Amino acid sequence: MSTELIKVTINGNEYQTEKGARLIDVCREHDHNVPSFCYYSDLALQASCRTCLVRIEKMPKLQTSCTVTCTDGMIVTTESDEIEKARRGMVEFLLANHPLDCPVCDRGGECELQEMVFDWGGLEERFSERKNYAPEKFLSPMIGNDPQRCILCKRCTRVCDEWMGEDAIEAGGRGAHTVIGTYGGWLNCSQCGNCIEVCPTGTLLDATYRHQARPWELEQTVSTCTFCSDGCQVSLGSRAGEVMRSVARDRYVDGINGEFLCIKGRFGHPFINDEQRLRTPLIRYRKGGKLIPATWDQAFEFAANRLKEVADKHGAESVGIVGSPRITNEANYALLKFAKELVGTPNYGATDAFSLVPFFENLSAPLATHKDIRRAQTIILIGGEPEELQPLTGKQIRQAVRNGGAKLIIVNSTPIRLNQAASQFLHINPNTEDAFVLALTDESQAASSMKTLGIEAEQFDAVRKLINDTEGTCIVMFGGELSHAAQVALTGLPAMMAGESRKFLFHPLPIYNNSVGVHDLGLMSGELSARDMVAVAGEGLHAMYVAGSFLPEHLQGQEERLAQLELLIVQELFETETTKYADVVFPAASFAEVDGTFTNNDGLVQRVRQSIAPVHQSRADWMITAGLAKTLGMDFDFQMSASAVFRELAERIPAYNGLRYPQLKDESKPVQVKHQISERRDTSNDMQTLRERVSQMKPDGEKIMTTPNVGHELFKPGTLTSKVPQIHLLAAGNPKPETVLISPLYQITIDSSLRRDEAIAAD
Amino acid sequence: MRIEAIGCEPNLIKRFALENSTRLDVVRKHGAYDMARKAVTTMSPAAVIDEVKKSALRGRGGAGFPTGMKWGFVPKDSPKEKYLVINGDESEPGTFKDRYIYERDPHLLLEGCLISCYAIGARTCYIYSRGEYKYLIDILDRAIEEARAAGFIGEKLFGTDFSCEMHTTTGAGAYICGEETALLNSLEGLRGHPRMKPPFPAVSGLYGCPTVVNNVETIAAVPWIIEHGGDAYRALGTEKSGGTKMWSVSGHVKYPGVYELPMGYDNLEKFIMEDCGGIPNGRKLKAVIPGGSSVYIMPASDIIGKKVLMDYEGLVVAGSMVGSGGMIVMDDTVDIFESTKNLTEFYKHESCGWCTPCREGTDWLVKVFKRIANGDGRIEDAQLLLDICDNIEGKSFCPLGDAAAWPIQSAIKKFPEDFKKHLVPMLQQDAIAAD
Repeated sequence: MSTELIKVTINGNEYQTEKGARLIDVCREHDHNVPSFCYYSDLALQASCRTCLVRIEKMPKLQTSCTVTCTDGMIVTTESDEIEKARRGMVEFLLANHPLDCPVCDRGGECELQEMVFDWGGLEERFSERKNYAPEKFLSPMIGNDPQRCILCKRCTRVCDEWMGEDAIEAGGRGAHTVIGTYGGWLNCSQCGNCIEVCPTGTLLDATYRHQARPWELEQTVSTCTFCSDGCQVSLGSRAGEVMRSVARDRYVDGINGEFLCIKGRFGHPFINDEQRLRTPLIRYRKGGKLIPATWDQAFEFAANRLKEVADKHGAESVGIVGSPRITNEANYALLKFAKELVGTPNYGATDAFSLVPFFENLSAPLATHKDIRRAQTIILIGGEPEELQPLTGKQIRQAVRNGGAKLIIVNSTPIRLNQAASQFLHINPNTEDAFVLALTDESQAASSMKTLGIEAEQFDAVRKLINDTEGTCIVMFGGELSHAAQVALTGLPAMMAGESRKFLFHPLPIYNNSVGVHDLGLMSGELSARDMVAVAGEGLHAMYVAGSFLPEHLQGQEERLAQLELLIVQELFETETTKYADVVFPAASFAEVDGTFTNNDGLVQRVRQSIAPVHQSRADWMITAGLAKTLGMDFDFQMSASAVFRELAERIPAYNGLRYPQLKDESKPVQVKHQISERRDTSNDMQTLRERVSQMKPDGEKIMTTPNVGHELFKPGTLTSKVPQIHLLAAGNPKPETVLISPLYQITIDSSLRRDEAIAAD
Repeated sequence: MRIEAIGCEPNLIKRFALENSTRLDVVRKHGAYDMARKAVTTMSPAAVIDEVKKSALRGRGGAGFPTGMKWGFVPKDSPKEKYLVINGDESEPGTFKDRYIYERDPHLLLEGCLISCYAIGARTCYIYSRGEYKYLIDILDRAIEEARAAGFIGEKLFGTDFSCEMHTTTGAGAYICGEETALLNSLEGLRGHPRMKPPFPAVSGLYGCPTVVNNVETIAAVPWIIEHGGDAYRALGTEKSGGTKMWSVSGHVKYPGVYELPMGYDNLEKFIMEDCGGIPNGRKLKAVIPGGSSVYIMPASDIIGKKVLMDYEGLVVAGSMVGSGGMIVMDDTVDIFESTKNLTEFYKHESCGWCTPCREGTDWLVKVFKRIANGDGRIEDAQLLLDICDNIEGKSFCPLGDAAAWPIQSAIKKFPEDFKKHLVPMLQQDAIAAD
């Protein structure tokens, strides 16, 4: 779009606007109300609902303002008898076959058609004939469908195609019998549910929320999703202490994700009020005994005494403190403070899947925001699988390619689904991502790396040429496959390849919602990593205080080592592999029950807000840590307020200096933390390490030729997502049930159902 | 079933009567492909377009857009591939002219395609026909094979650098696919929905490339223009509409058939009453739909004694349109309410469902018509029907919404009595009769 300004007259008022601006946007910007259903910014134009009709001088008929781009001197009327008649006519048409079942419709109260009828509907219905009928049914375990309510704006089919690249739903039939349907009558997609979100009516329904509550009963709380590192903004709808749903509808929340969410963000919330949540503190009075419910005071007392004993006996270094990339910055900060100021141990870490410390220490270009990704010219994706692990990033990449003409380079050992959008796909041998980084950053090694990578030199040269030809932004993304030395080497890329018209941005792809936060706080920079701590449990390390649980990659199949500890304190939502060995378990509050912040992979620090009171006796993680500290005789002086914790955090952590909660209030203007862009350091040691590492790689690995199944990561029943019954159906391969007219959950029975067993076995 | 030319020499249909007229060796003796050779070897593409512009040839599909002008819109310097697409969807009720070109003289169409491709710089031509024309497509496919074998289709034709490939393809039975952009979607394998205009196909059509979409009959007229010159073609018809046009006449006439008439033929009454043999069984003319079901219906009073000229302008003056030239003649046994109901059911069935007014409007119209037919008519229903039509007309995504509204609007206006007798309840009618 050019920045040339032109004049447009709307209803007699003259406005200046950019040449090529869309008329409907300009009208709305200046408060000339133009209704529409099918227009949705950043999606392909549809122009089918015909409600945005306006009169443009010198044009024969009424024009749809969504399809018209402004030209200089254009004279537009948006309000006249003729236009009003047309709009009322369209609304009358839309209502003709729309059932008036608003009292039993999930969307009743927040339905765009209802609003439109309030504005443009007739007093009485002239349509007295029988309405067309189609039965309500399920399209998948997650998505219900009442075809009668459909007004065929096709937002759903467009988001499915353009955002998700899946094209799983499409219109079928013709004329008034057109219905939104699926191929084969069952949705085998990633179940993101964005079709539900963008639906203006109650045609597509959240099958987990269906008939559970009315929108006006819900208290909407804007918060940040707790599942992946993208940090989508969600609105949690709660009623009487229960989270009923999670949406990104733009009437409630306006974040980096727009109305986008993935299956986890949208449907993953039932864990919050799950009956398996820990209810009280638990104490195991003797090793091998049972966890017995206790009061908070007893549990604090017990934990404090035992911790003091261990520290006195073996020294402060024998205590390990483990934070979590899934809890708030405030909670992690309290743990860090506990480790450094109270216990005085250098052994602190966090249970992240992989460390980004070398990358952040050598950071040479800013982090890309999701907006930057959408507008990027070139995107290099090394390893990772964003469509499964960071779905918003995946969507932004797809749109950048599809709607923005970006070039996508994928370097991966697996032909991931995102490949269909790629301009260049380097299908490398498994576990040779490091070799690609070496080839890219050290030209002398490029030729020798080709054999290790298993690709042709021309392919690699084409990638280099694509980067060198980029005019604009080039975004480098990488997953957890890179070694520490490769991370450091990669940070050297901007110095080598940036130019006057080309700038580089980085977009790391960590796994968890606050992975970047734990790095920022320094929790990942302790002397022993979480994995090392498990490895030396009982030998040098005698007590551990863990927020959350260890991942399998930390335990390395040696969870019994945890039994060697004299004391294991765990704060958790649920009983897990780690709590099995715990001596004290504190019930922690979930993200929906606390105030705080998460830092996403853009480096944006975003608010988490309390939607419901902590369930049962659970408490916010930072409160538990502060409570334990108090029992040990140290007052953290947090004044029972998350904002006070954040204030202290912001004063002590350089990247967060100056930040306060009020600045983070508006989710539509997220704040990026100031990651320090380091001066180029001497990285020759790391380059040498990388060269040695690559030279030892064996190029004989077999390439993976099959594209992984949709949902192979998304549908895995984890600690949290396994509390959603539907997830088990998806994990079992999402079979199409014999009847789609009743909830697919009928396939799961409470007692030893065959299907459910299959589902769990499939994990 | 008559096929004849009236008021002019047979131009389009001159080879129709030959025995085995679909065979190349037969039509070669009568000059087939000579004009393609002439255009490709002796004329520049610009000169061909000039001749067509001079000829005042207008699109025979229904809209009547000047063909030469359409060709002129194709960007000459575009690096993209260019395409010629022949619209043989012919699904307008009452229209059956293109099928006789397929059936009797496929090589005429192919020759026209060659010349047109040469003029617009296309190397590929797609001939899109409605799926129901399967048996005709087989004829066309055979003709293409014959022409290819004889060196009229393929690489480096007539000893020049001009190459041209032709493909036939079929629709799946949708009226909307006669609309050029929906046709292109269907051709690309997508759902048959119309596309947004602009961009027009001449700029961005098939696969996003410059594309000319022309009706079968339009293209079939091109060889004659090359043979005799654009001016001669224009002289056959009127100043604004050149040449001859094929009219397919059906309904209550003695000799239904396909007639080739010069544009501006004088006049419609003579044509129906004399050339087509008049109304059989001694009945009287009641109404004529002159150009396919989508145009305004004409009552006999607008035809008899009115000297209606049969060309684009003449029929507009008389209150209707040439459309596709599918003329439906109705005698006084026809209940215009019933015939309009029938047409509306067609439009409802064929509405593609893309835009609100056409999808919901036609559905509603049919429901109202059915209710009236069931005897539940109300006097205010006439106004309701007109109002629904008004909300469709001019507000739909493509012109097919208008096409659904016009027949009803004109039928109610021109034949109010036929509607009134259904709308006024029986009891009331009896009461009126008793007065």
